[in-house]
Amino acid sequence: MANKDLNIYVLVKQVPDTRSKAGVNPDGTIDRAKAGKMLNPFDAYAMQAALSAKRMGGPGSKVTAVSMGPPPAIDILYQALEHGVDKTCLLSDRKLAASDTLATSYALAKTLEYLFKSDGKPDLVFCGLQTTDGDTAQVGPEICERLDLTQVTYVEGFEIKDNLIHARKIIEGGAMEVEAKLPALMTIANSYNKLEFKTFRGAKFVQGLKRNEQLQKEYVKIIDLATVEADDMLCGLAGSPTIVSATWKIGTVGGNCTMHQGKSVEDMVTEVFETENSVIKELSKV
Amino acid sequence: MATVEKELAKNTTKQKGPITYDLVLIGASPANLTLAHRLCDLMALKPEMHLSVAILEKSEEFGGHIVSGAVVNKKIFDKAFPNHIEDGMPIESICEESSFALLGRKKKFDVPSAITRALLPDFCKEGYYVLTLSNVVAWMAETLQAKAATVPNLDIDMYNGFPATEIRYENDKISAVKVSNTGVDLEDYVHGDLFCFADKGFLSKDIIKKFELADNPQIWSVGVKETWRLRSDAPYLKGKVWHTLGFPTLDGTLGGGFVYGLDHNRVTIGQVISLDSKNPNIHPQKQLQELKKHPWLQNILRDGELLHYGAAVLPEGGPASLPKAFQVDGALLMGDALGLLDVKALAGVDKAMESGYIGAEVVFESFSKRDFSKEQLSKYQKKLLASPFMDKYKANRYFRQAFIKNPDLLEKYLPIFVDGFDKGGFLWGGLKAFLANPIGLTVQTFSALIHLNAPNEINDEVRYMPGYEHIDPNFTKEMIARNQSDEKYQKTTIYSREDAVFYAQTKYEVHPEHIDEFSAETCLKCIKTYEAKGLDVPCVSDCTAEVHRLDIRDGGVKVHGMSLENCVQCRTCELICPEQNLRVNAAYSAGGPNFKGL
Repeated sequence: MANKDLNIYVLVKQVPDTRSKAGVNPDGTIDRAKAGKMLNPFDAYAMQAALSAKRMGGPGSKVTAVSMGPPPAIDILYQALEHGVDKTCLLSDRKLAASDTLATSYALAKTLEYLFKSDGKPDLVFCGLQTTDGDTAQVGPEICERLDLTQVTYVEGFEIKDNLIHARKIIEGGAMEVEAKLPALMTIANSYNKLEFKTFRGAKFVQGLKRNEQLQKEYVKIIDLATVEADDMLCGLAGSPTIVSATWKIGTVGGNCTMHQGKSVEDMVTEVFETENSVIKELSKV
Repeated sequence: MATVEKELAKNTTKQKGPITYDLVLIGASPANLTLAHRLCDLMALKPEMHLSVAILEKSEEFGGHIVSGAVVNKKIFDKAFPNHIEDGMPIESICEESSFALLGRKKKFDVPSAITRALLPDFCKEGYYVLTLSNVVAWMAETLQAKAATVPNLDIDMYNGFPATEIRYENDKISAVKVSNTGVDLEDYVHGDLFCFADKGFLSKDIIKKFELADNPQIWSVGVKETWRLRSDAPYLKGKVWHTLGFPTLDGTLGGGFVYGLDHNRVTIGQVISLDSKNPNIHPQKQLQELKKHPWLQNILRDGELLHYGAAVLPEGGPASLPKAFQVDGALLMGDALGLLDVKALAGVDKAMESGYIGAEVVFESFSKRDFSKEQLSKYQKKLLASPFMDKYKANRYFRQAFIKNPDLLEKYLPIFVDGFDKGGFLWGGLKAFLANPIGLTVQTFSALIHLNAPNEINDEVRYMPGYEHIDPNFTKEMIARNQSDEKYQKTTIYSREDAVFYAQTKYEVHPEHIDEFSAETCLKCIKTYEAKGLDVPCVSDCTAEVHRLDIRDGGVKVHGMSLENCVQCRTCELICPEQNLRVNAAYSAGGPNFKGL
């Protein structure tokens, strides 16, 4: 039996670029305005999983990428379209600032419910394992509980046969093969396939989109909390039971680290020896 | 067909059918970006006409695969980018002092400027811009996007990470180019009415071959280059330009170095070596290291920091290698695809940009008339050849012939001169070379000078052989001149080839497969030939980036292997392969080096 058309959602987040230098606020948090931005590397695997699932489904399968964040997060939705995602949606609202995982999962679950009404019920929802800025790995499972979907976490490979998921998930010390019914939410581990290069047609489409406001509205839907009928008190700071009581510097980790790179081994060894306070120098004295 | 449609429906639900543009520019080079800029101006004057343009660039970032000197004639920027200063074009410096230097193994002799001015006026670069061309190209791409947004009847789509790797013809007219390798035909080909090729021969060579446009083969040279940040008390070099002859290219090959002072206490150093050499083992990257061991450069580089390394090939043939036609039905050739480098003056960027500027006018006219026949497009060739930017290029057409006809100058007399120069100075070197063969040297020098400064047609047809045909497996001369200076060089200024590649920042996300080896048998034969003579195989020795290697199999058989993840896509191996058994293609998925800053 061939698979039916799959309605797929993938959740993506914009995070500070790990390659750029971000400033640190006096309270120890990242100065997000200053940092360069990128697609959360874990979400790239989720996006690849969503695009692979689309190929497994019937010819009418489609992928919708959903994100939550300030307006510049639209860039990662353009990126998703370049890679072949069909539609995107951004939940953007000032009231969302300072959300913890509970508030985030509430807002995103409400967004998904809203989209299910307009774009159809889900067969699959994909999330990255975690983000590189929050590192909690909680939002995906929380959303899943709120939406009452089948949950498969830490997935590093999967197939859809006869409308059933056959997935391989990582467990401590090994892997586990599971079978799950649709609709399901899967969090994708970073041992899954790397995100393929953007498609030419996708890149063409996005460049045309940027010139056409009408099309932009259709393919990059920007909505706020009122649209998704979310309770403000459950969002943002108000909806976040997590309290950061204090952050402090725990000192410099690892002491002075000098990187020696790009030279011949011989030159690098000489360099290490010549470095002042070199451990080797100290040791050689002993 | 049904499966293709099904596949397509699975892959995208957006616009179906073939991917089509009016105009497709292959390579975001100075030529094509100048063309696009000029086209913006022209289209703004004709709002009723609409054009869609795609610019295909194989590197991840615009400018990422551009490596050049570059000292460029300011006039072309005044013409093509009249507001380039206000628009913030990155200029490293303006040349204030330009010297031509003869290098011995230890000594350096700056030819007095009066003599340079009289004999080699093309090397006087005062007033020229010293540029980091990769940055300039990035600037051109960025300003183009802003400019195109103000012209509503012109849609310019810019594709970084999409090379053109294959040409598709329909009744001998170019109809599409392949840009990706998904396996779905409709997704992989970009169709167009008109194509402009400004690549370094990756694809344009196929057009030249198919339509038999070349009477004379193109001859190439390889340039290797490094950019350094100098120590704070290093000599102040901004605005200074040197071109050098002599050490370390003393194997009879035409070659020379350059040192350009950049902004922010940086300097760029390079060596350009012709590939029509008898020497099977040129070792371009090693030659650059030898150049850097010269006491003059050691004084500059000591305690400095290497920032970037890169390599590229340069078309040196000049007018003699120009294709018979610069256009075919549905396509124009520009810049390096034509070979617009004036090797005597070491200047090509201005002519490449001029080809784009003129190309834009012809492209605009062709779209106005909807006529893309070679007859209509031939206006491009006429206009370009009549351009004042081409005057010197045409006048210097016998430069390569001067050394081909008089090979002893480089093979015999230059090494003798350099030896004498190191021992007893410039005049002593000259005298020794003269005494070696008074008549021979005089005759050959005289003949070379006639060729070099030929105002009129010499009754002497220029004939080239492709580089690989010159290679002599029985070559016995010193492969690379070694520095014999008493002063020791600083070891940290010298980089092995495998270490240098780190500074070319090569990155291939997808496993690279972009170099074709046609026959393993042929490679085996070639390896045997050179191993028997105690030489390295040319592709192994002359690779600029540690790609080609010999693997020892069971039984001690040596086979050709490639570490493609190191490749900087310079195409040297393809050009010097004695058996013509290699082909370098552009890599998919933005794979390759990052030359930003070179």
